[in-house]
Amino acid sequence: MSKFRKEGGKSAPAINTSSLPDIVFMLLFFFMVATTSKESDPTVRVIKPNGVRTQDMTPYKQKSEIDFLYLGKPLNTARARAYAEMGMEYMLFMDNVVQSTTDDIYNVNAIKRWKLDKFESKPARMNETIEGVITCVKADEGAPSGIIFDIRKELQDIDALKIAYAVNKQDKR
Amino acid sequence: MAKRGIPEVNAGSMADIAFLLLIFFLVTTTMDKDHAYIRSIPKNVIIEIPPEPVEKRNICAIQANAQNQLMIRGELMTNPDDISERVLDFYRENEAQNDPINNFPMYSRISKAEIQAALNLAIDEAEAVEKTPNASQDIIDFKYRQVAEWEKKQSAIDLLGKNVLPEIASQAHIRIEVQKATEYNLFATIQSEIEEAIFELRNDAALTVFKESYKQIQSRLAMDKAPVDRDKMELLKILYPDRIIEVTPRK
Repeated sequence: MSKFRKEGGKSAPAINTSSLPDIVFMLLFFFMVATTSKESDPTVRVIKPNGVRTQDMTPYKQKSEIDFLYLGKPLNTARARAYAEMGMEYMLFMDNVVQSTTDDIYNVNAIKRWKLDKFESKPARMNETIEGVITCVKADEGAPSGIIFDIRKELQDIDALKIAYAVNKQDKR
Repeated sequence: MAKRGIPEVNAGSMADIAFLLLIFFLVTTTMDKDHAYIRSIPKNVIIEIPPEPVEKRNICAIQANAQNQLMIRGELMTNPDDISERVLDFYRENEAQNDPINNFPMYSRISKAEIQAALNLAIDEAEAVEKTPNASQDIIDFKYRQVAEWEKKQSAIDLLGKNVLPEIASQAHIRIEVQKATEYNLFATIQSEIEEAIFELRNDAALTVFKESYKQIQSRLAMDKAPVDRDKMELLKILYPDRIIEVTPRK
């Protein structure tokens, strides 16, 4: 029995933690490489429709050749009700607008300014013309298609001729 | 003065700093990728002479109304998942043999010699236009675009390895007509189904001609943009062009 008895009550040796930072840094670098940063949190609720055979927008994001536009009902329910009474159910949210309204919610008229401002503030390495910069519309599945065509009309007027319809990627059934 | 060793820096808090950075990146980034369908908007041009109306057989009209009811080529549809099959029919009906009676777009079958002749003619014309005094740059550009088009067709038929290059009528297109109140969900489904049909057509062609899938060609092209893959893609696009027109709704 004496085989299992502790001798002298020695405490367990301390674990060497000097390699912990290395492990954590490795994790950190993994996340830095594998992810892309969020543009901005929209103030409208968007549930994207599903679709198959989609195209990945990451390469365009890395080259900053894409701008995002959200279309949905305001997240704030009180505001949503107020807008609905005014006959505006679905509202736009544009990322990184220079001059924002108090609630960050816009109607279609603001698109031209937003798009041109965004084009002005592109990094110098981006050498696309405005025609080639994609406008990615993330619209709620319940939104009326008419607004999509209003957006297209606005974009056409300033010669921003590439539009993308965002969907949730679904594998083929 | 007695010699003293440099004291060791305590690296115990290094892990804390690294964790802090890690958590910052975890919070500010997203893993999910953005997926979308890219479409182009037609340029705003002033049309002086209205173009001739497109033959009905060349239009694959997909219509949806405010009640989210679907119609393809004048036929009511209940299940939106069937759109892709109708689009497939639109491309495939006359592919092997032209049938003037059915209401589908005609295919032209052009031989190697004909392409060569057309290419030579286009080059001659382009050079002639360039030499004429005060020819407008627009016309010269237009002629050279035609030359480029024939060159593309020539490399396409070489890749295809057949005597003739089947080509769908140049006016053939898919037309999406929705109303203002049509749900976006349905609009997106239509886009998705069209994309599915085009993918299937090109994938089948890629498998028979190149013995590899369309996806493989696509991903390789995105990775290193090799001219071989670009030519392959060019051929698939000539065989099955994705001409989509989205009509602005009036009501």
